[in-house]
Amino acid sequence: MRQIKSTLKLLRRSPYQALAAALAMSLTFFIASIFVILIIGGQLVLNYIEQRPQVIAFFKDDVSEAKINEIASSIKSTGLAREVKYVSKEEALAIYRERNKDDPLLLESVSADFLPASIDISVKKAADIDQITKIVKGHTEVERVITPENLVEQLVKWTKTIRLGAVIFVSTLASVSFLIIIMVIGMRIAIRRDEVSIMNLVGATRWYISRPFFIEGALYGIIGASIAVILVYAALLFYSPNIQEFLGPIQVFPINPLFFVYLWAGEALIAALVGIIGAAIALFRYLKIR
Amino acid sequence: MIQFEQVTKKYPNGQIALEDVDLTIEDGEFLFVVGPSGAGKSTLLKLITRETSPTSGQILFNSQSISRIPGGKIPQLRRKIGTVFQDFKLLLNRTVFENVAVPLEVLGKKDSEIEKEVSAVLEKVDLLEKASSFPAQLSGGEVQRTAIARAIVAKPEVLLADEPTGDLDPKTAREVVHVLEKINDEDKNIIVMATHNVQIVNHFKKRVIVLEKGKIIKDEKEGKYETD
Repeated sequence: MRQIKSTLKLLRRSPYQALAAALAMSLTFFIASIFVILIIGGQLVLNYIEQRPQVIAFFKDDVSEAKINEIASSIKSTGLAREVKYVSKEEALAIYRERNKDDPLLLESVSADFLPASIDISVKKAADIDQITKIVKGHTEVERVITPENLVEQLVKWTKTIRLGAVIFVSTLASVSFLIIIMVIGMRIAIRRDEVSIMNLVGATRWYISRPFFIEGALYGIIGASIAVILVYAALLFYSPNIQEFLGPIQVFPINPLFFVYLWAGEALIAALVGIIGAAIALFRYLKIR
Repeated sequence: MIQFEQVTKKYPNGQIALEDVDLTIEDGEFLFVVGPSGAGKSTLLKLITRETSPTSGQILFNSQSISRIPGGKIPQLRRKIGTVFQDFKLLLNRTVFENVAVPLEVLGKKDSEIEKEVSAVLEKVDLLEKASSFPAQLSGGEVQRTAIARAIVAKPEVLLADEPTGDLDPKTAREVVHVLEKINDEDKNIIVMATHNVQIVNHFKKRVIVLEKGKIIKDEKEGKYETD
């Protein structure tokens, strides 16, 4: 406790170096948080799409319900589909009427015979849409297949790109923060060399002398991560209407506050580790005691 | 008891700081180590604190070889030794009280114990009323007494003083050595004071060891220091 107090006192006495180290950390973890949210958001969109029917197969007029059910069963047996739902002509009419209930003109001349029977297929994994579309198209009874394959493909591609970007961007920034921590702690060791030499002569162990620097490194990490999470929280709060408008029917707000607690805990832990390892390297390099 | 047995210290640049030194310092003894600059006085003290190791021979402290102490145990050795320096080595951003408290903090003592022990030692060196002053606000003698207080606060068995009067005027220098003598009388610890202050050595009539070019050339019970 005494050493934590004395570390805080030292931070107050030379706040600019402390500020530089903490801000470098906060920038790193702000960007990391944005990437975490983008990756989770991308996954949410993919999950949403996976839960919807992604492949709709319309059948020719003369295909019997029994035949359609047989095709549906064969698709189900591939193991790629989570759900295969038969939509009869009558049900299609009901859906049509519901969607166009405000436009009587569109309803007047339409009967069940005009609409084809179909099966709505939800896949287990978005990546399997292509394969299931091929299987469906292989049945001659199928007249037309609707599939959002391009959208899903794009989404999967984007998610992969974001992950790659996150790794490159965050590791570059983390390296910069790491070097700044080494530099700042190295300067602290130089500033405190008299104190270190006195401590050494009065019988302080290496660990006792090093501990305040480890605490300092960890503090930079924790403060940096905390600033980052607060900024991300504020940004999400501010931009939530725009984000929700962009995502349309995919509900992501309100975000569970626990998410931010976990995000903070995870980032603070990683940041503290970065700080501690940075301090350890600085101590190894600059703390010369006999 | 501290014993030097055939101790030689040769620095990597080839300079011989001590050569075949045999020396025994009994418990409770007050010893002046004198000699010109470069005679090996500071090296002798640094060998006791294991700031450096002998090239050959050995140094025993309470029958234990100092040079054989593993690195991790050196702090324990140093807790038994207090050191006073010519340049005081006080922390300028800490008060007298905080400076004196450093060895007790290192020992992990509680705040209440630190308060009690630091106050007692400041009283002993007559600095209690200066406890909250910073080193820059003290006179030369007060600064050195602060350094002495820090060196003795953890009740060491040995007190090493490396030219503690070097930067002080004769009157203040004598006061500082009086403080050391009082500590030696009361605590019965070994005091080794390296100096080239002729007046001080001759005034206090203690055991004197004269070093020259790394060799002991004189060792007298109530010795004198004579320079050419």
